[in-house]
Amino acid sequence: MNEFVETLLDLQWHEPKSTYDVVIIGGGGHGLATAYYLATRHGITNVAVVEANYIGSGNSGRNTTIIRANYGIPESVRFYQHSLDLYSTLEEETGCWIMHATKGLLWLAHTETAMRSERARCLLNTACGAETVMVDPQAAKAICPQLDLSGGGRYPVLGASHHVGAATARHDRVVWAYAQGAMRMGVHVLQNTQVTGLLRDGERVTGVQTANGNISAGVVLSAVGGNVTTIANHAELRLPVRTHPLQAFVTNGYAQSLGPIISDTELFCYVSQTARGQMLIGAEFDPQPSYSTQSSFNFLQSCTSKVTHLLPFLKNLRILRQWTGICDVSADFSPIIGHTGVDGLLITTGWGTWGFKAIPAGGSLMAELIATGKTPPLLEPFGLDRFASDQALADQGSTGTR
Amino acid sequence: MLALETLHGTRIVAAPEALDALDAATWSTSVTVLRFAPDDVFVLGAETISISGEYAIVEAESGFVGCWLTDEQLAHVAEHIDWPLPVERPVLVQGFVAGVPAKIWLTSSATGERSLLLCAAPYACELTERLA
Amino acid sequence: MLWLTCPICGRRPIDEFSFGGEFPTVPDRITDPATRDVDYVWMFDNIAGVTTERWFHHAGCRRWHTARRDTITDAVLHTGIEDATDTVL
Repeated sequence: MNEFVETLLDLQWHEPKSTYDVVIIGGGGHGLATAYYLATRHGITNVAVVEANYIGSGNSGRNTTIIRANYGIPESVRFYQHSLDLYSTLEEETGCWIMHATKGLLWLAHTETAMRSERARCLLNTACGAETVMVDPQAAKAICPQLDLSGGGRYPVLGASHHVGAATARHDRVVWAYAQGAMRMGVHVLQNTQVTGLLRDGERVTGVQTANGNISAGVVLSAVGGNVTTIANHAELRLPVRTHPLQAFVTNGYAQSLGPIISDTELFCYVSQTARGQMLIGAEFDPQPSYSTQSSFNFLQSCTSKVTHLLPFLKNLRILRQWTGICDVSADFSPIIGHTGVDGLLITTGWGTWGFKAIPAGGSLMAELIATGKTPPLLEPFGLDRFASDQALADQGSTGTR
Repeated sequence: MLALETLHGTRIVAAPEALDALDAATWSTSVTVLRFAPDDVFVLGAETISISGEYAIVEAESGFVGCWLTDEQLAHVAEHIDWPLPVERPVLVQGFVAGVPAKIWLTSSATGERSLLLCAAPYACELTERLA
Repeated sequence: MLWLTCPICGRRPIDEFSFGGEFPTVPDRITDPATRDVDYVWMFDNIAGVTTERWFHHAGCRRWHTARRDTITDAVLHTGIEDATDTVL
């Protein structure tokens, strides 16, 4: 147990009550943030967060901790920039040190085609409030001296877009900061309580069945990552979501500092440095859907060969750990937040590989939706009904590296 | 360094039955019949090919490059293959060689025949570099 | 899942294959034709269990085949070159 967790030991854990105003399924970042903002912003404290395992045991504890807003369509950029802004004041607000550090992000381009899309990205992002500027290879090298501008002879760097506000934060601390804030306001967090079904009254969802008994609720929110289809099936709800594994790994410590986050549109990989000095490296999610969290050697092989072309010093480091999370990827690579068409059931899903950075915005806007019954303007584009009404969001900027 | 050179042959796409007959036919020893798939063969070294079947497509094919391997070279190439090679000979195997899509026509060295490594022409430089 | 058996080429590492998607199904309980269309285009069964799906062996024979795979364990139960419309699977 570390020092940070010890400061939380005065937290009150509760036995489940039989009824709550709001029951949130999934004790990850989005579920706990929603509970936190319901309690602190809207005075709704009769809330339970039901988690099958321990809080933060899913994707909230497995992601690569990157916070950025340089997406491909205005709807997304505005939403993620809101999240980025909330993150930057989260330590002050919660009094918890989440190790937030603004580092900037360099998005490398190796071809003229990529240069064109990066230029377009800069204009769009800056116009929507996420400052992003084009830099030439020398300027990129000045920002990140470890960069090999020749890309190992294979992937020469023609330029990069520099997303100035990008940051990282320690992921489990974010989860605990929200949990702590919510629990101090009276929210019940029920760990080791698996939801096995939904209570129905006709079409309406009226609560959840758990291994420890039924809990009725005014509103049920599914904030489940990966296994969301299982929850949706209980309500006969169809979702445009597939579950894909996403892998990442860290190396041992690197004595120098890698300033920014390095990302690459064409090689589909990204590198950042943790507070411990380890290099944290990730890539795209696996192409085939799967619920297995088995890591693969193929992934290490392809990912290391790419990143060592850009950052040759990585060749001298050793891989410490590799892990996998299962993420719910929506059909248009954008989140699905809001009403489901089933009374009493709300959903926040489709967070794919971009969920961690969205935790504060997703949580606060979902809380506003629950409290007021009205969809906040920032959430309007992300409703589940967009698929039926032909307004799917084609955002190539959504996935981990695009 | 392997020297991959353009292979001039004939590509036939037809119903599997027609190609089974072709596969089974006896050719002079200089002809190599590579069965890429049940409905797809690549024939090297044949002067004329006659094939039954209404829908058979027979075209000259110069889209592959290849190199006949010495035993030593074959052993070197085999080190760059992640999957097990079959024991039967002769046999065509297909898959990643050094991470590049390639094919090998494996023959029995006891009879003095050489094995052929081939890949699609656009991969020639990549495969050569990776095997160097 | 690290290996898949191509019915033509044999057992190969997974990165020799491209995933071609599961067979789309629309639940019988959906009766409205327009809703069925939306479901067919956008929605996924996302089964936690055995799925039937198409794979393309791009590094080998360049042929499509059908696999049955358990998405929880990634165990491949069957691969074959059955036609996509074959309902025997």
